[in-house]
Amino acid sequence: MSAHAPANDGKLPDTWRKPPMIANPVLRYTLAVAVLAYVAWAVYMLPFDWERMAEGASRAARIFSGAFPPSFERSGLLIDGFLESLKIAILATVAGVFLSIPIAFMAAKNLAPKPVYFLGRAIIVVARSFHPVIVAIIFVKAVGFGPFAGVLTLIVYSIGFVAKMLAERIEEIDWGQVEAMRAVGAGYLPTIIYAVFPQIMPRQIGLSIYQLDSNLRASAVVGIVGAGGIGSTLANAFGRYDYDFALAITMVIVGAILISEGISGQIRKRIW
Amino acid sequence: MLKISQLVKRYGNGEPVLKGLDLEVPGESIVAVIGASGAGKSTLLRCINRLVEPTSGTIELNDVTLSSLRGSELRAARRRIGMIFQGFNLVDRLTVMENVQSGRLGYLPTWRAITRRYPRKDIRRAYELMERVGIAHYASKRADELSGGERQRVGVVRALMQEPEILLADEPTASLDPKTSEQIMELLRALSREFSLPVLINIHNVGEAKAYSDRIVGMRFGRIMFDAEPSALDRAAMDEIYAGTPADERAVGGGDETEFKVKTA
Amino acid sequence: MVGLDATPDEWVRFTPRQRLQRFAIYLVCVAAIVWALTSIDVVWAWVYDAPEQMADLFGRMVPPDTANLSSILWVLLETVNIATIATALSVMVSLPVAYIAAQNTTPNAATLWLGRLILVSSRSVNTIIWALLFVAIFGPGIIAGILAIMFRSIGFIGKLLGEAIEEIDRRPVEALEATGASRFKVILYAIVPQVMPTFWAVSILRWDINLRESTVLGLVGAGGIGLILQGAIDTFNWQEAATVLLAILALVIAGEVVAGTLRRRII
Repeated sequence: MSAHAPANDGKLPDTWRKPPMIANPVLRYTLAVAVLAYVAWAVYMLPFDWERMAEGASRAARIFSGAFPPSFERSGLLIDGFLESLKIAILATVAGVFLSIPIAFMAAKNLAPKPVYFLGRAIIVVARSFHPVIVAIIFVKAVGFGPFAGVLTLIVYSIGFVAKMLAERIEEIDWGQVEAMRAVGAGYLPTIIYAVFPQIMPRQIGLSIYQLDSNLRASAVVGIVGAGGIGSTLANAFGRYDYDFALAITMVIVGAILISEGISGQIRKRIW
Repeated sequence: MLKISQLVKRYGNGEPVLKGLDLEVPGESIVAVIGASGAGKSTLLRCINRLVEPTSGTIELNDVTLSSLRGSELRAARRRIGMIFQGFNLVDRLTVMENVQSGRLGYLPTWRAITRRYPRKDIRRAYELMERVGIAHYASKRADELSGGERQRVGVVRALMQEPEILLADEPTASLDPKTSEQIMELLRALSREFSLPVLINIHNVGEAKAYSDRIVGMRFGRIMFDAEPSALDRAAMDEIYAGTPADERAVGGGDETEFKVKTA
Repeated sequence: MVGLDATPDEWVRFTPRQRLQRFAIYLVCVAAIVWALTSIDVVWAWVYDAPEQMADLFGRMVPPDTANLSSILWVLLETVNIATIATALSVMVSLPVAYIAAQNTTPNAATLWLGRLILVSSRSVNTIIWALLFVAIFGPGIIAGILAIMFRSIGFIGKLLGEAIEEIDRRPVEALEATGASRFKVILYAIVPQVMPTFWAVSILRWDINLRESTVLGLVGAGGIGLILQGAIDTFNWQEAATVLLAILALVIAGEVVAGTLRRRII
């Protein structure tokens, strides 16, 4: 081999370092130190209760031995809870999807005037930022315990997602079709109906199905703070230490979510 | 010296892809394997380093029976077989140096592989080889920033880093333009002489095969139909190797053939 | 649809079969809505009353009470820490899970199914339900919160990473196997670099989601800002609740901005 080594043999380097991700060494080390300091501080600051943690094992054993076998004795309660969740999800999806349409038009840069655009965006940001459980707890206080608070919560939740995605779709529409409608002298509403709606309809249907699926998931959760549905049943079971019933409910929730995910996936595959 | 005898490969219960092949490749010679797609060229090559498991038959490399090795013994044997691929098979997101050093992975302690602290002699060797093929200045560039010909040079250097006893090249020029193909073939021939390496090349392009090899093996339906020096490959032999395959597949080789004859004359 | 020899004087958009199908779908939708509307357990008088109640509630929220702002912000920081630590831990745990749940890297069929079982059970139970369980086990506090977020995140990150592993380019893997590299080194050099972009993208995305999730953990007793919100609401201290809500809003928006910046920088 050496017989064929290149002429500048003596000058070839015998060390090599992988170029670092951050080229500036000062920035690199500062960042590394900052990250380490943050981790140390964060772990140190959190009020861990190690004694309680140690007790956890025995309590876990008690809970799990209490949970098996899952009890389907009160299946009436279980079915009622599940059906209520389904109703909440359906109504919230319908209302949420309808309300999303005007909000999406408000929040589309290419169709709405500036002030309206900002209002539309603000509604979406607020709806998206709050976890449904927080929204639920407020609605529960405002309109009382029960499924109505759940429906209102999930309407807000639906708007946060559907209006956002729809607004993005509206911003991507083929503007030529709108101009064509304007050229034949159509007014604002006919233009929207004939030039914009057909372009956003497929997306809207897909989104609705997806949202029905996520609303069903979320409806199981908002119930925990009193907004109706199977979540309320679950929270009650937990509160009364009926772990076998709680496990049965959880199994039903998981099963329902898997089925609904499968169905919505199938439908969307066909439509999209 | 590579010695293959009675090699059979069958996928599932279908017709065997290789039907009892016998082949010897002595040191320091370039052997080109030609044949239509589906003739079994690629399977033959992959049986040698056991990327594909042979159904029966034996393969020996310098008196080590490759076909019976397992686990770490197999890996140790693979270290001594360099392979060059049609699609270069580089890791795009790693630097050229890391790709080149990955040829040493079989020899390297794990901590060095993780930390990228390669031994000095490996780095020196990498620079020597990269300098030899003209890519040393790319050492710290990401592999996906290079052109096709440059990427294949990285692939060649990676194989040479293994300090191989034989080079296998699977359609090394099929993804390259004609001019670059020629350079890579030229390089392979030169390296074979420099390192006294036997090189087994699968190749589609009959013109290149004739121009750059010492010996041509023609395969058809898992059997060797032709095995002689390039000058012996005439129309009749070609017809036998490529019988029943569409004309355009042959035309690639046929067209280039005359071109290369002029150049290498 | 129309014969070439005749000029139709009628135009219909769909064939009869298509129309029947569409009609059936509409019917199912309407039936579902009617069923839900008529059978849902709602006091309609409350529904008509709702706008007034909401207005009243928001009326009581202004002006937000900032007396406890410093302690609210402190707990908010704690919330961020919960989300960050939990995300970091779940990323580490989900790596081996993704590895065994990906068809092309899993050692054998048993590990493949184990991996998939972990992913599915983690993903289909919501963070809040996990939190209920861990609060019951470890008592109220941050540990329950971190575990709850971890248990949900592992499924999310593991699934997306596993899919990324399944979609890698096989060719570099083959090349490194051909050099005689061990399994571990092949993973290190051929698989890890290919999965890195997805790894960062998924981690950042999940951190952003976890920030949101960690704001509600306190409502079931699992630590963070939710605890203060619950306290304010339970004592009808709506003005402080408003401050907490605004703080959460600011946190989530800031988180989204940070996540967006990181994504652009790293990927």
